[in-house]
Amino acid sequence: MVSIQYSSPASPVGHADPGTAAPARTAGQTAAGSAAAPGRQRITLKVNGTEHTLDVEPNVILLDALREILGLHGTKKGCDHGQCGACTVHINGRSMNSCLLLAVMQQNVEITTIEGLAQSAGFEQGQHPVQQAFLEHDAYQCGYCTAGQMMTAAAVINEGNVEGDDVSLREAMSGNICRCGAYKNILEAVQSARARMTGEG
Amino acid sequence: MRGFEFEQADDVQQAINRHGSSDALIAGGTTLLDLVKLDVMQPEKVVDVSRLPLKRIETLEDGRLKVGALVSNTELAKHEIVMRDYPVLSEALLSGASTGLRNMASTGGNVMQRTRCPYFRDPAMPCNKREPGTGCSAIEGINRNHAVLGTSEHCIATHPSDMCVGMVAAGATVVVEGSQGVREIPFEEYHLLPGETPEQEHDLLAGELITHVILDPPRGGGQSYLKLRDRASYEFALASCAAIVNLEGDRISEARVAMGGVATKPWRATAAEEALKGQPATRETFERAAEAVMQDAVAYSHNGYKITLGKQAIVRALRDATAAARA
Amino acid sequence: MTTETQKPQRVDGTLTSIGQKKPRIDGTLKLTGGADYAADRNLPNQTWGYPVSSTIAKGRLVALELDEALAMPGVLDIFHHDNFDKLSRSPNDFAAANKVGELRLPFEDNEIYYHGQYIALVVADTFEHARAAARKVRAQYEKSDDQLTDILALDSGQGDLPGEDVPGDASSRGDADSAFESASIQLDQRYSIAHENHSVMEMHASVAQWENDMLTVYESSQGVVFQRNALAKIFGIPQEKVTVISHFIGSGFGSKLFMWPHAVMTSVAARRLGRPVKTVVPRELEYLNTGYRPTSLQRVRLGADDSGKLLSIHHDGCNETSPAGLHDDSVNGATPSMYACDNVAVTNRLVTVNKGTPTSMRAPGEASGAFALETALDELAVKLDMDPLALRHKNFADRDPAADLPWSSNHLKECWDNAAQRFGWNKRNPTPGAMKDGDEIIGYGMATQSWEAMRQHCSARFGFRDDGTLLVACGTQDIGTGTYTIVAQTASEMTGVPIEMIDVRLGDSSLPSGPLSGGSFATATVLPAVSAAMKEALAELKTLATAEGGVFENVDQDSITLRDGRLVSGDNSIEIAELLRQNRIGLVDGEASTKPGDEQDQYSFRSFGAVFVEVRWDPGISRLRVARICSTIDIGRAINPLTATNQVEGSIVMGMGMGLFEQIEYDAHGYPYNNSLADYIVPVNADMPQIEVELLDYPDYLRNEFGARGVGEIGLTGVAAAISNAVYNATGKRIRDMPISIEKLLAS
Ligand SMILES: Cc1cc2nc3c(=O)[nH]c(=O)nc-3n(C[C@H](O)[C@H](O)[C@H](O)COP(=O)(O)OP(=O)(O)OC[C@H]3O[C@@H](n4cnc5c(N)ncnc54)[C@H](O)[C@@H]3O)c2cc1C
Ligand code: SF4
Ligand code: FES
Ligand code: FES
Repeated sequence: MVSIQYSSPASPVGHADPGTAAPARTAGQTAAGSAAAPGRQRITLKVNGTEHTLDVEPNVILLDALREILGLHGTKKGCDHGQCGACTVHINGRSMNSCLLLAVMQQNVEITTIEGLAQSAGFEQGQHPVQQAFLEHDAYQCGYCTAGQMMTAAAVINEGNVEGDDVSLREAMSGNICRCGAYKNILEAVQSARARMTGEG
Repeated sequence: MRGFEFEQADDVQQAINRHGSSDALIAGGTTLLDLVKLDVMQPEKVVDVSRLPLKRIETLEDGRLKVGALVSNTELAKHEIVMRDYPVLSEALLSGASTGLRNMASTGGNVMQRTRCPYFRDPAMPCNKREPGTGCSAIEGINRNHAVLGTSEHCIATHPSDMCVGMVAAGATVVVEGSQGVREIPFEEYHLLPGETPEQEHDLLAGELITHVILDPPRGGGQSYLKLRDRASYEFALASCAAIVNLEGDRISEARVAMGGVATKPWRATAAEEALKGQPATRETFERAAEAVMQDAVAYSHNGYKITLGKQAIVRALRDATAAARA
Repeated sequence: MTTETQKPQRVDGTLTSIGQKKPRIDGTLKLTGGADYAADRNLPNQTWGYPVSSTIAKGRLVALELDEALAMPGVLDIFHHDNFDKLSRSPNDFAAANKVGELRLPFEDNEIYYHGQYIALVVADTFEHARAAARKVRAQYEKSDDQLTDILALDSGQGDLPGEDVPGDASSRGDADSAFESASIQLDQRYSIAHENHSVMEMHASVAQWENDMLTVYESSQGVVFQRNALAKIFGIPQEKVTVISHFIGSGFGSKLFMWPHAVMTSVAARRLGRPVKTVVPRELEYLNTGYRPTSLQRVRLGADDSGKLLSIHHDGCNETSPAGLHDDSVNGATPSMYACDNVAVTNRLVTVNKGTPTSMRAPGEASGAFALETALDELAVKLDMDPLALRHKNFADRDPAADLPWSSNHLKECWDNAAQRFGWNKRNPTPGAMKDGDEIIGYGMATQSWEAMRQHCSARFGFRDDGTLLVACGTQDIGTGTYTIVAQTASEMTGVPIEMIDVRLGDSSLPSGPLSGGSFATATVLPAVSAAMKEALAELKTLATAEGGVFENVDQDSITLRDGRLVSGDNSIEIAELLRQNRIGLVDGEASTKPGDEQDQYSFRSFGAVFVEVRWDPGISRLRVARICSTIDIGRAINPLTATNQVEGSIVMGMGMGLFEQIEYDAHGYPYNNSLADYIVPVNADMPQIEVELLDYPDYLRNEFGARGVGEIGLTGVAAAISNAVYNATGKRIRDMPISIEKLLAS
């Protein structure tokens, strides 16, 4: 079994660190003090435990703010209309489709993205059990739907208000489309993470 | 998606005062933002009502259940009273959308959700509902997902909600508030048939908002919600049926039947209810009830199958509700 | 550089990495949000493009009103026919690796060929501004009302298929016509597959940047080399001046093999503005502007004797194509090879419709063709009152009857029997509707699966670093199939260096030229090149080691072997990293190119499999569900059974989509009715049946030294047929037009 942590030279891709994939709209991020430009609103978003102050027009969607302003690209856009689940994040621990949330409405809440999932659950080092299970069960192919799958899975397991049988979990995971069709492994991964997290199984 | 102004309302009065006729309220945003992105809705200002103190579910003295407009679809579906006394509503809610969307969607927003007619959703296409007088693209075009009940020559779009179908079956009242005060509207009268004015979808006056939906006292009996669609989840109904059956021995003393996916508004199937009352709870009775509902159905070029499917939904939902009543 | 054409040596014996279930080496990046997909790229000073597209299906664009849009906040410019750069079309040549998705260049003329065709690109300082302004562009059209979007409407239902004959696609052996006429059992049926869309989760995206005269495009691409070459031709600049990068791809299934017009628009805009431009194709346009599996209409005629021996096969195909670019799906390409039959004739036709250009979609052609052929065989079995599996056995082709060559390796019989046994096929009652369970009627169906096992030209670079890590680079891509991981496994196998120490670089056109990630040929193509490059690098190392003063001075190079990251000769050995450090060399590498050799002329290469399906039909509520799918596939050796099995399972899911749900519908005005992820129905998790896949493990050393054939597409073939055959077994209804929608089940 390959360990989940790779030493940096073995990272297969050269340009993945947030440093080089820096946000283009750093202008959107603001230092405290100056007033927001006309038509913009100054907001504070608490993402993965860190507060960011930014000036946005009211029609900026949370998903776009995360990706294009804050440079958090782990959350994906698959449709922009609530039809795929790729953009799923946690708002106060609940899974939600960030493509249909206004950024200006997400103040005073805890926003968790895939980048902060492990940490939000108290795993300062390493991965969330859902991430570990996805790796072990090969619960993905292209990886594009994967952040959304894991965010839904983690919330569903945490909330504990979905039965643990396969049928219920498949239903609960059905708002996350995987066009690669890795559903079988996704279910297995969710089941195994659930067993680990709830101490069952 | 055009730009808009944004304001937050902290109480109902502010929400009423702050939104004019060219503005929109936003609760969960799952309908509004979807349509604003498409330019189907173009509010000048969006007023955030998501923080209004309308998030409670409480039992009233008369036995009714008062649901705040901002209770999320998940909370409502998983509320213990709803699961126990209104299982048909809980099942309807859980059959809708997805885990994430149900966490966002509000009760009031769900009542107010707009049709999924693809022509309505594309501003480039003629659509009487979106732009009165431009014509209906669906009648001559593809109408596989469209209604067979309650249509008019101006619009044949379905009301897509599952929750509303459960509420119609359970019996409910919509409470709205505006500068003129509070009004209570029977749920079935809240949504309007398209008729000549498909753009008028409900009995909500300018400046009003929904504050609550109050469910009738529990009807007991056996309850079932059945949703038929192409894939097993995350799809709107092609036909759905909410059924509540009260039995006296082997006879049906009272039945409530509502339909989704086949009608232009959440459809109370009174014809079925009449055909059921006092009759033995048998397959023949269920089939007669289904026929009674669908005898008025009008099929268009691609949706004739919904007449059969709708009947099947009724028969099966009644069967399952009856079985639940016996259990 | 070497070019290997001689017959490869087997890599065999005890394997420690190849053939093992290895978690993906790029897994951590994908699971933490660290993987960079095209649209994740944000460059300094970047701008955003948003396309405007035609709202009519055919006609002419008369005028664009831009004033309002140009006055919108943040708008930088709007590109369209009247102000676009004059460019050259790509030669569009597969062999020269510059084939494109749509031959017509964006904004090339003012004709409208299809609904959704780009008519302008708005560029603004933010995504929101670009989108808002795009909605304000007004177009005036001269509309033609003679658009055509439905080829099925042209069909008379009998005799020849509609469309223009493609003479080059026709092939025949024996005399199929007279053999059919004289056959005691005859079947003549038409079948169709609806227009399907790849619906990849990651929308196509380009981020283009010019630095001086160098163009860099971050693209979601299954073929960075193809796109680089095509862009160079279109802009008339040397290939060296163009770089296309695609480290991670939110899958492609064919829709990202060849470049689409958005990449050209975006590159032009970036050059004109002197700033990087990012354009993400909006989901609704994904369905119209980035290819699709064309609707195909097929006619199959089978003649057989009373024992079930096939005497004649006719398979005529017809698919839609576009005025903006040609696509021939060749649905019957595999048919002549599938069964032993002396008299076979296939023909193909094309009909031009007002839609964007179709393209390859997972198992292009063969998936559609297999549906028709394998359903026809089921119908023949009914006529013969014969078990459909027995009918296939009866007609097994023990060599390739089309090429008249032996198979390199063929274990189809075992696939049939293994899958049948696991599935419990012997419990099948052939009488439709005879198997029941409560409200449900159960149906069993099966089909043969197949995909040609191709291999292409490929170059790769292999390096040993002084920190003990390896660098393996190839200008191919990992689209989710696991290429990063199998390359690392191969490198690890050959060198004994642990997989964690292997740095694999893909998805960059500046790397040695690698193949498309398509056609299921990437594995069979890339690994031999990696192996050859490793040998080049090893030769360098040996030279270094045997040099004067080196550890192996005076040792015969041939006696030196590579083990556990060390050079070994007799009792003596040295860690390679140590050797490099001693010589103060950071990296020793080698590059090599490989291609298939004359085995191509001596054998036929094809993978086979078998798929068995259980459906459950609840007639009381017209509900059809797939309950169980069992498939056994022979793909040679699976380099990584974990990822390979995942590929087959995923293909099966897509096959379920083809059989049950997937269809883009156009109305009489040529308007696409359901171009959204909510309205174009693909399977979700709740649709999943029990899926049991078994991969046989028979390395095919004639294909390459690793014995690997590809795995990406075969799993999809046959699935729709097996479903439709199972539906017949359950319902007695023979649905010959995919998908099997509720209304079709109710109507028949
Ligand atoms: C992909 C997808 C799939 C879906 N599938 C289903 C399904 O299967 N079944 C189903 O039933 N639904 C489905 N839905 C619809 C979903 O249930 C609704 O979008 C949701 O219930 C709307 O609630 P909201 O709070 O998000 O509304 P919002 O988007 O906030 O508001 C919707 C409308 O109501 C108005 N409004 C909001 N609150 C009030 C109020 N208190 N008083 C007056 N007006 C108000 C807004 O101005 C707006 O016009 C789906 C949605 C999506 C995007
Ligand atoms: S059915 Fe109604 S919503 Fe749809 S196009 Fe016609 S008028 Fe518009
Ligand atoms: S991007 Fe939000 S659901 Fe698809
Ligand atoms: S892993 Fe590719 S879409 Fe799910």
